[in-house]
Amino acid sequence: MHRNEWIPTVCYQCKAECAILARVEDGVVKEVKGNPLARGKMCVKGMAGVTTLYSAERLKYPLKRVGERGEGRFERITWDEALDIMEKKLRELRERGEAHTFTYSMFPHSTTDPKWRFVNAAGGFISTGLPHCDSAKIMAHLHTFGCFPNHHIAPMYYTVPKGGLMILSGRHPFGCLDDACVPRDILNAKARGAKLVVIDPIFRSEAAKADWWIPIKPGGDAALFLGVCHYLLTNDLYDKAFCEKWVRPGDMDNLMAFIADKTPEKMSRICEVPAADIVRLAKMCAEAKSVCIDAFKSIMYGNAMDWGHVWSILLVITGNLDNPGGQPLPEIAPMAPVTPVPPAPNLKELGYHRTGPDKNRFDHYNFILEPTWYAAQAVKDGTLKVFFASECNPALSEMGSGEWRKAMTMRDEKGDYKLELFVVTEIMPSETMKWADLVLPDQTNFERWELLYMPWWYNYGHTAALCRPVIEPLHETRHANRVMIELGKRMFPEYFAFKDDLEYYDIELSGVGMSVEKLMDGGGLWSPGTAGFRKYEDAGKFNTASGKIELEWRMYADIGQQWPSPELPLEFRRGEKEFPFILVNFRTIFLNNTGAWSQNNAQLRDPVSGLDANPVVINPIDAKRLGIAEGDMVTVASSTGEVRLPVALSQRIKPGCAGLIHGFGQTMGKVAARGNWAGDNELIADAGSHLDEQDLRGGEAHVATRVNIHK
Amino acid sequence: MKQLSIMVDLDRCIGCKTCIVACRNHHGLVDHENAMPGEMSHYIRVESELTGTYPDLAEDFWVVMCQHCKKPPCIKACPSGAIAKDAQTGIVRIDKEACTGAKKCLAKCPYDVIQFDAAGNFAHKCDLCYDRVIHGLEPVCVEVCLADALRFGEKEILLMHAEAEGKELIKKRSTQSILYVKSPRR
Repeated sequence: MHRNEWIPTVCYQCKAECAILARVEDGVVKEVKGNPLARGKMCVKGMAGVTTLYSAERLKYPLKRVGERGEGRFERITWDEALDIMEKKLRELRERGEAHTFTYSMFPHSTTDPKWRFVNAAGGFISTGLPHCDSAKIMAHLHTFGCFPNHHIAPMYYTVPKGGLMILSGRHPFGCLDDACVPRDILNAKARGAKLVVIDPIFRSEAAKADWWIPIKPGGDAALFLGVCHYLLTNDLYDKAFCEKWVRPGDMDNLMAFIADKTPEKMSRICEVPAADIVRLAKMCAEAKSVCIDAFKSIMYGNAMDWGHVWSILLVITGNLDNPGGQPLPEIAPMAPVTPVPPAPNLKELGYHRTGPDKNRFDHYNFILEPTWYAAQAVKDGTLKVFFASECNPALSEMGSGEWRKAMTMRDEKGDYKLELFVVTEIMPSETMKWADLVLPDQTNFERWELLYMPWWYNYGHTAALCRPVIEPLHETRHANRVMIELGKRMFPEYFAFKDDLEYYDIELSGVGMSVEKLMDGGGLWSPGTAGFRKYEDAGKFNTASGKIELEWRMYADIGQQWPSPELPLEFRRGEKEFPFILVNFRTIFLNNTGAWSQNNAQLRDPVSGLDANPVVINPIDAKRLGIAEGDMVTVASSTGEVRLPVALSQRIKPGCAGLIHGFGQTMGKVAARGNWAGDNELIADAGSHLDEQDLRGGEAHVATRVNIHK
Repeated sequence: MKQLSIMVDLDRCIGCKTCIVACRNHHGLVDHENAMPGEMSHYIRVESELTGTYPDLAEDFWVVMCQHCKKPPCIKACPSGAIAKDAQTGIVRIDKEACTGAKKCLAKCPYDVIQFDAAGNFAHKCDLCYDRVIHGLEPVCVEVCLADALRFGEKEILLMHAEAEGKELIKKRSTQSILYVKSPRR
């Protein structure tokens, strides 16, 4: 195919999709690095992607389950047989009038992902996993100032001026789930005189580089920043001119009334950050040339809408919208639709596939993204019958994985599995595939075509990136997108009338005057122009209903959510006596254990280049109280599960918290299954069974729960 | 003799290990068929040190590779004369062909950075990407460094850069040709 050259393509060892170059010699990928066209960096996970590509353990041909679900016994079948099985079941489902009980759990690389198209054509639901991730941030920004920020895209650190302030709240940008340029950009900003403040219960590499590390009680971010806002507003330290000009009339007065009792002292008692430190942070915000905030884990604690709301308010009152070093307001570059467009499911009619006591109240939210299926719950209540999964690993890396595994083997009165068909596409053996009926061998990013399109461009500096095969695909692998296009052609030819994925991407790209060919000529990247600032000044308005910034969310007045609550998530407010520790899961740059593409990678599980253990980390103060020593085996138990792990004592964790690196505990894959490590999701409750007020405050405590620890 | 050198800026090293994997890829140190964790050769490793007591903590990260010693003990230990310090560059290189697999260099290296290929019966290690640097390129680890914490050049010039930027040489670590620098603590 290509010989001895550096070929631009895209990494896919995590969801950041960095633009990279692959060095191919005689049809073999030898090395990889960042693409200079994208200001070029690539992280350790991406570098190790070559090991995934050539792993002897890759899934090589389609497999069909022969034993019971969970046994992990399969036999080889052909692609035709695999497609027949899927087609037959989906047709049967449609004939029964149950098309909507089919879902595909995936990470859509773009709104025009062909897998998503297939689900819509089939009348099913898509499950993005986003609502319990960071869609609350997206929604908060959208509600407040009408911008459509990219999820996983950080502030533009390369624009932070001298005297600017960068705040990371439960965010691990040195872990590269963002573009791999971000760590360098943050360090460069610091080197030119910007300040870095890291708010996190765990001291990690960002904290090591920070001007100030603020350990916080998990879930306390909304309270902390309400205290900051209180100080700024009551001491006239906010950007009055900006607020007068741009905030909707009445909102500032109502905000003043709401904030009146959110004093640093009072907020301090919730977030466990001393009031003096809240005031110090407020003063830093007031004095800074610019302020930007990024958060991730802290919006996964169960009060994400509250925290996203406070975050938005702080940006507004400090005037940090679409300015260098503040919150970028991206523009949208629309691709062309591939017509005819299959209709999306009618959520109002079919309902959200979300369960819990507050379902009716939850429905008040205007989520733009179709919410997560709580698979375990949906199987139980008969609303999930056919389940496809790509690039996700619910048996291990989603909350309530134990509940999920149980659901996969539930049977109806006739003795058949309640979930009628479960298909996974996978590059490597994964925990989830053990429960699958069909396992389809997927391709790595070195072997497939894929248009990675983020309509809300510009933090990465591009809107579209092209993943292209740099070598001939190995084995009988086929990319999930191609499989769904092929199945689409069989079942819904009217919606799949295009020739193949390349023609599909060409049609989409024509919307911005581009094509696959042109993208390749341009080094695999395209953006509509250069970053502009304060675009609302030119437009004379924000992209909200009133054209102004809307601090008060009046549409949520009926559920009492027009202003953010400072309270910790429910998950952390109850059960303190029985479960005195708050477990916080975290991750590192060496590993992205959530997906099978990187969890079985020998270079990422090597003690030299990766990480091979996940002991439970606690502060020596707590250990002494409990009589626990370094290396002791302990039981960590939550209300829903328990694991046994060795203890690592470290000063780097806030007393009262326990830290556990996410994604261990695999039993599949010779590399991934090494060692006697445990998965954090054995402890975290299944979302569908534990939704109380979380529904109203922005999702579940997704990465944290209360636990007790004993020998 | 000019001494080519790498300067490691502890203000910028985040301990991400990208250099380790890029180095392995470039030098073909990954046996994709048989590689197992803990059994893969590596020319670089990352070290770190956490100091202080909660919540007043500090942590440094840095990389360790062949230090290209002024008087390399590995050269002295080698019975077959397979190791030499290049006169033009100061790079310490092992001649794989001449190596007889005696492993004496491994035992004598104070930095524990020499690898051994059992199948090929030879010792190997970081050669500052000799094949790249003689063509004017940087070593791979320097090029890919996620945080731009590594810099390559003549030792003398690198020291001038450090001085110009107000960074201090960590004398205890920088005894050979790899320089470790950081800003003075405020």
